[in-house]
Amino acid sequence: MANPPVAARPVAPRPVAPRPVAPRRSLFTKYFCALFAAVVAPLLIAGGSEAWFGFHDQRARLNDLLDAEARLAALKIHDFIEGIREQLAWTVQFPLSENTGDRHRLDALSLLRQAPAVISLSLVDAAGKERLFVSRIGLNRVGSNEDHSAMPAVLGARSDGIWFGPVTFQYGSEPFMTIAIAGNRSTVGVAVAEVNLKFIWEEISGIKVGRTGEAFVLDQPGRLVAHPDISLVLRADETANQPLRALRDAILLTGPGQAATGQDLAGQTVLAAMAQIPGMDWSVIVKQSLAEAYRPIYVALWRTAALLVAGAVIAAMLAYWLTQRMVGPIRVLEDGVARIGAGQFDHRINLATGDEFERLATRFNAMADELSVSQERSERISRLKRFLAPQVAELVDRIGDDRVLDGRRVEVVVVFCDLRGFTAFSTGAESESILGVLREYYDALERAVSAHEATLINFAGDGAMVLLNAPVPCSDPALRAIRMAIDMQTNVQELLTGWRVLDPRLGFGVGLAMGPATVGQIGSEGRLDYTAIGSVVNLASRLCDNAEDAEILVDRVAAAEAGSSMTLVELRARALKGFDRPVPVFTPMARSSVASGPPQPADAETSNRPAMF
Amino acid sequence: MPRAFAEATGRMRRRDFIALAGGAAASIVPAHAQSLPVIGYLGGESPQRYGSRLKAFRQGLGTAGYVEGSTVAIEFRWADGQYNRLPALAKELADRQVSVIVAPGGAEVAFAAKSATTTIPIVFEMGGDPVALGLVSSLSRPGGNLTGVSSLSVEVSRKRLEFMREVRPSANTFAVAVNPTSPTSSNQLKNIQVAAEALGVELIVLKASTEQEFDSIFTAVNQSRAGGLVFTSDPYFAFRSQQLAGLAARHAVPAITQSRDFPLAGGLMSYGGDFDQSHRHTGLYAGRILKGEKPSDLPVQRVTKVELFINQKAADTLGLSFPPSLLASADKVLE
Repeated sequence: MANPPVAARPVAPRPVAPRPVAPRRSLFTKYFCALFAAVVAPLLIAGGSEAWFGFHDQRARLNDLLDAEARLAALKIHDFIEGIREQLAWTVQFPLSENTGDRHRLDALSLLRQAPAVISLSLVDAAGKERLFVSRIGLNRVGSNEDHSAMPAVLGARSDGIWFGPVTFQYGSEPFMTIAIAGNRSTVGVAVAEVNLKFIWEEISGIKVGRTGEAFVLDQPGRLVAHPDISLVLRADETANQPLRALRDAILLTGPGQAATGQDLAGQTVLAAMAQIPGMDWSVIVKQSLAEAYRPIYVALWRTAALLVAGAVIAAMLAYWLTQRMVGPIRVLEDGVARIGAGQFDHRINLATGDEFERLATRFNAMADELSVSQERSERISRLKRFLAPQVAELVDRIGDDRVLDGRRVEVVVVFCDLRGFTAFSTGAESESILGVLREYYDALERAVSAHEATLINFAGDGAMVLLNAPVPCSDPALRAIRMAIDMQTNVQELLTGWRVLDPRLGFGVGLAMGPATVGQIGSEGRLDYTAIGSVVNLASRLCDNAEDAEILVDRVAAAEAGSSMTLVELRARALKGFDRPVPVFTPMARSSVASGPPQPADAETSNRPAMF
Repeated sequence: MPRAFAEATGRMRRRDFIALAGGAAASIVPAHAQSLPVIGYLGGESPQRYGSRLKAFRQGLGTAGYVEGSTVAIEFRWADGQYNRLPALAKELADRQVSVIVAPGGAEVAFAAKSATTTIPIVFEMGGDPVALGLVSSLSRPGGNLTGVSSLSVEVSRKRLEFMREVRPSANTFAVAVNPTSPTSSNQLKNIQVAAEALGVELIVLKASTEQEFDSIFTAVNQSRAGGLVFTSDPYFAFRSQQLAGLAARHAVPAITQSRDFPLAGGLMSYGGDFDQSHRHTGLYAGRILKGEKPSDLPVQRVTKVELFINQKAADTLGLSFPPSLLASADKVLE
């Protein structure tokens, strides 16, 4: 018999539950943030450290550069002064005397030609008298014998060998300085030169740091002596040069060899280093605009920032892609599981990611398959339950497979039993007590049936039909059947002792037979029954009818089957309705004894010939 | 006709319009050239006489980042030696509203420019002391709309007498050529007279303010048996160095002027400021003013370089020899 068509019908899917509210922190956000951070954080750290170290390196490099340039500038100016000093030293090599005057004059004139910064030169002899004066502008004087012994230049040169006068601004504009130098011996005089400091411009304007960096010179009081923009020097404006003095003070505060930041005359923030000119109290300051000095850093920073942005964008894209790859399948899985959970067992999760997700999807699909099969089965069983006798249905339910109910021909043991004198009892007794008796009776039978794994096919009033080896096959069905029958008898007989108070005619008989029968479900649209059809059923029924109270009648086949394990006593053959010849009948020994004990030998009244087949 | 135009414009597509607009933009370019900053250049002489000065001026302008024709235009006004024309020419430049007036070549030019405007910046180039002349209030802070370059030429005119005396140590009398129309003449003359006293020599003062008077000066020198002729610093003389050199040779007069052009043209000696330097600085200052600096912030620059040029050939022709002191002092000895 095929499965009921209802079982094949697809299960009507329940509506898919709406997607649950978005999680507080979605996996996407978490993974995206983590991946993004994993890429951007190192970039940020690398960029930041590059900027930091780059800045410091550049600062140190600038410091060194400016320091070196300042030293170089100081050296150049020192060389300039030294050049003049050497020229002057030449003029005071020999003592000044009347006869060597002409020679000194030529020396002095060539000095003027060779040292363009020297505007005038006077030679003072050992006695402090001016012997010679040559000038580019004024008239030359020879042997004027003016007393110059008290001049600070002469006194200074005599005591220290060389003397640098203060910077003065001629006509309030041009910086001049007096340099005096004394000869080696005291008999030699002193050369006093007036030097135009504008000529330092050539030295100072040659110093360039970067594109706009430049050098300038301040004297000890902080007046501007030299600057690439000569007009600043010529302006001789001490107030206007205040920022430059402030810059010098700032450098003095930072310590030697260290550059300091400050403002220049244009109000630009500059980095400046300073060097002293050896032997003089002038400071050479080299400055560079910070904006220009740090331009390479800013460029590097911009580059880093651009890389950072590009990296962040790539990281974001990568993180998005990766998390999407992760979350996408999870969504598909979630959706699939939701559908399957909602009963759409035919739904298949399609994932071809080639990774664990695909494996998981395959598992889910397999699970859906399994669910589908078991759902189908349970649907079928629940339908069967509605039609089959509860006992059979329960059996099927227990076994979990209704195919046991499929029609087939099988060797079965059929057991019939019924109460004797029940009809008479039922007509006379009250329905309440009838039902009470039946309730206890069924209960007793069911206990025995279930104890021996037999199948209770139906109850019909006071009678019941029990089947063994079908629908569930079992071992030694005959033996089981006999033992069950014994248990039935024992159980019912116990009840009968009580019931006989109600009606003394009540009794209980069992008949069983073994043989091939067609078993399966039969019935109409509204009612299904599991039953056995065949002569063996008739036989068992007739045997039951034939049995006396407390008697168990076994047919010859069942007896032969159980005979090896149980002693059976053959009774006289019975003529049964529907059977041409008298049917041999057996009964287990000591059928009246209590079920707990082993079968006892038949009592003397009956034939005690053991069944020997 | 307006209807036709409207129809035409209606038909015009956007692309056509853009092409038209592009054409309009292109036509602006020549107008842009006219909007270059303009320097008004006031010259007391002719462009030929100013040749070397102009070259130095353009160099200085180039240092400041200006090239004539591409980043700056120069409007010239030449007085061709007629210094009385200068004020009118300066006025012309002032009326043209040039960005800056450059007035090189002496105090006369500077005064002419100063009289023409009190607002347009003026850069002068001259030999005298601009403070003493009343051009500016101070060298460091010129004030007003003037600044410029001053060479030491005027200040060193006494040195010329000294050098001449070294060439002619035996002579007691020397002639001095003065241009009485020059603002610095009286000052220079005083200066030289003091020097003459110090040197213990007599001076014969000869005046010349036009080219026609030059010849008579040299004649006078020879007539007075003066040891030599000393020219005071004056642009009129300086710009006519070749002419003076020719006259000096013709009259066999040992002479010294302020300009190197004189010995270069065959004259005996020169002692004075370096024109190249002073005109270069003038160009630089003009450039800086074009860039927006105020003339009152630019101190008057003094060109401190004074150069002594001596011409050995001229000395030989005159039968003179330079003493060692001159040879030692000379920046250049022309053989």
